[in-house]
Amino acid sequence: MAEIQEYWRWTEYSWHHPEMDWRQGKRIAAGIDVGSVSSQALVLVDGQIFAFSNLRTGSNSPDSANNAIKTALKDTGMEIKDLQYTVGTGYGRVNVPFANRAITEIACHARGANFMAGPKVRTVLDMGGQDCKAIHCDERGKVTNFLMNDKCAAGTGRGMEVMADLLSIPIKDIGDLSFQVDEEPQPVSSTCVVFAKSEALGLMRSGWSKNMVLAAYCSAMAHRVSLLLGRIGVEDQFFITGGIAKNPGIVKRLEQELGIQAVKSQHDSQIAGALGAGLFADTLLQKGAQ
Amino acid sequence: MIEKFKEWYETRHAYARQWKERTGGKVVGTFCTYVPEEILAAANMLPVRILGSHEPQDVTEPHIFGMFCPFCRDALAQGLKGRFNYLDGVVLAHSCIHFRQTFNSWRIHLPVQFSYYIPMPNTVQTPHARLYHTVEVEKFKKAIEEYTGRPITEQDLDRGIEILNRNRRLLRKVYEYRKLDHPPLTGEEAMYMAVSSQFIDKEEHSKVLEAVLKELPERKLPRDAGIRLMAVGSENDDAEFFRMVEAVGGTVVIDEQCAGSRYFWNELVPNGNRMAAIADRYIDRPPCPVKDYPGHSRFQHVLNLAKDYRAQGAIIMQEKFCDPHEGDNPRLKKYLEDNGIPTLSLEFDSTNPLGPFRIRVEAFLETIRGEELF
Repeated sequence: MAEIQEYWRWTEYSWHHPEMDWRQGKRIAAGIDVGSVSSQALVLVDGQIFAFSNLRTGSNSPDSANNAIKTALKDTGMEIKDLQYTVGTGYGRVNVPFANRAITEIACHARGANFMAGPKVRTVLDMGGQDCKAIHCDERGKVTNFLMNDKCAAGTGRGMEVMADLLSIPIKDIGDLSFQVDEEPQPVSSTCVVFAKSEALGLMRSGWSKNMVLAAYCSAMAHRVSLLLGRIGVEDQFFITGGIAKNPGIVKRLEQELGIQAVKSQHDSQIAGALGAGLFADTLLQKGAQ
Repeated sequence: MIEKFKEWYETRHAYARQWKERTGGKVVGTFCTYVPEEILAAANMLPVRILGSHEPQDVTEPHIFGMFCPFCRDALAQGLKGRFNYLDGVVLAHSCIHFRQTFNSWRIHLPVQFSYYIPMPNTVQTPHARLYHTVEVEKFKKAIEEYTGRPITEQDLDRGIEILNRNRRLLRKVYEYRKLDHPPLTGEEAMYMAVSSQFIDKEEHSKVLEAVLKELPERKLPRDAGIRLMAVGSENDDAEFFRMVEAVGGTVVIDEQCAGSRYFWNELVPNGNRMAAIADRYIDRPPCPVKDYPGHSRFQHVLNLAKDYRAQGAIIMQEKFCDPHEGDNPRLKKYLEDNGIPTLSLEFDSTNPLGPFRIRVEAFLETIRGEELF
């Protein structure tokens, strides 16, 4: 039997610092972000990123948190008991069994963005698995205002996964392919994931290429997110976190619509929440938290 | 003693039935908080405010459009499910068109002996409103007299006025305690207290309030107040929501909503003309946004409350599709923020997703608090 290709599946992976000797560290802080679609664990040693993982969230938050930290610590010699302080975040934030404290992903994404893209960032857009957040923050990455999408998961990772599956296109290719069109089509009119799926099928039947459908979908998502940002205002500098930040089909169209470029970072945009949580854990450790 | 309000809140229908049996009196369902209850109290009737239950329901689809506010459908559902089947009468004092639809649908599908529509003007800010409404209050009094077959004397009216005023005065006194650094009652408890006053016999309610006032000086909450919050909105008696807010580090210390302070805030000021005094009381009360045109007197009132009770943030609780509030809220939000009160806007349905609300509330509290993390 031929292997069934799962087009929606994005790469799960882990990383740890090849040279750092964590045993020499004074502070070992961890952030665990159990999101609706993905989970990340990140460990900081004396404020430096030591290890992290990026996995799919399972049906059970404690298991997802455990898998994430075990994967991050694989081959490092470090164990959960070595973590001095752990902050849980994400929708499963209160279900991280080894966490000392829970902090919202809104605060954590702003803090993570501040680390990843620098203190000049004032607007953070987190495009996550099942929600979007527009966040304003100060030079320390402290949230000053925020807005979340209500009652609809359009413009999020889950919607993109559905579209990848429907069109049989690997999810990582969607962004680039969406620009391989002769002209930019009108955005799809439905942003609801299920209705957009029906609309995409209709467009395919009427002779649209897959790339045209992708372009129309990405463009609708970008427009929808720009409305959310418009309600709170976009202040330079602007940074995008979450999985969708890896999709240029949405990011470039959004930048065009807003007339502003998003700051680029060397870090994986998906770890922003866990990184922020880890940084808070590190700060709390420095302040003597136990 | 304060637990009594929660008990009443949860057993309101049983209470009304028992009241009827005990007193042989008439029970009148009131639609919105502009019904001049002084007249009903003068006629020894029990006013019971028609409210929803915050449970999912499927009985109102044929009667009210989905684009009308969830509260007006939730309220009608209670009637259609027979929960208010002890009512002898229903009265609406005009507020918004959505709730008028509930009232009209109620009259069609749930006939009662007495039903009355008070065409209270929405433009209460025009001087003509006072005379107009005085005449309407007089007409309402006559309708009640015809229904009961008993005249309402001036003494009856004075008694009715005092029953209402005493209850208002006592509620205000309890609210005073919420100004303290460590308020001795939660926002959830205050909500039960204020809402139950809208369907429990006022004299009985006032007695409990007096007992509560004796206990409050010694009462302490088993936790810190945390962030002091204000709840702004309409018919917000979603207990689960208040419980959640107060479980994640906040305390609601004041509200500006018809399920709370707007209902009882101002007393009636007696003058020689009782009908005019009653009309004035409802014209001069803190307005529902539907009666706050063309000037927005409500905004100043909201800000004054926030300052008096030292609220550090306001949660703007928008009932979905509630046009009057939707009209106010963008400006009110800006007004509060310009005056140093951060806001969190949430859209409410009759049942609400507590998880998504919780993340927003927690993040809002972190935004206000937060320094410890930096």
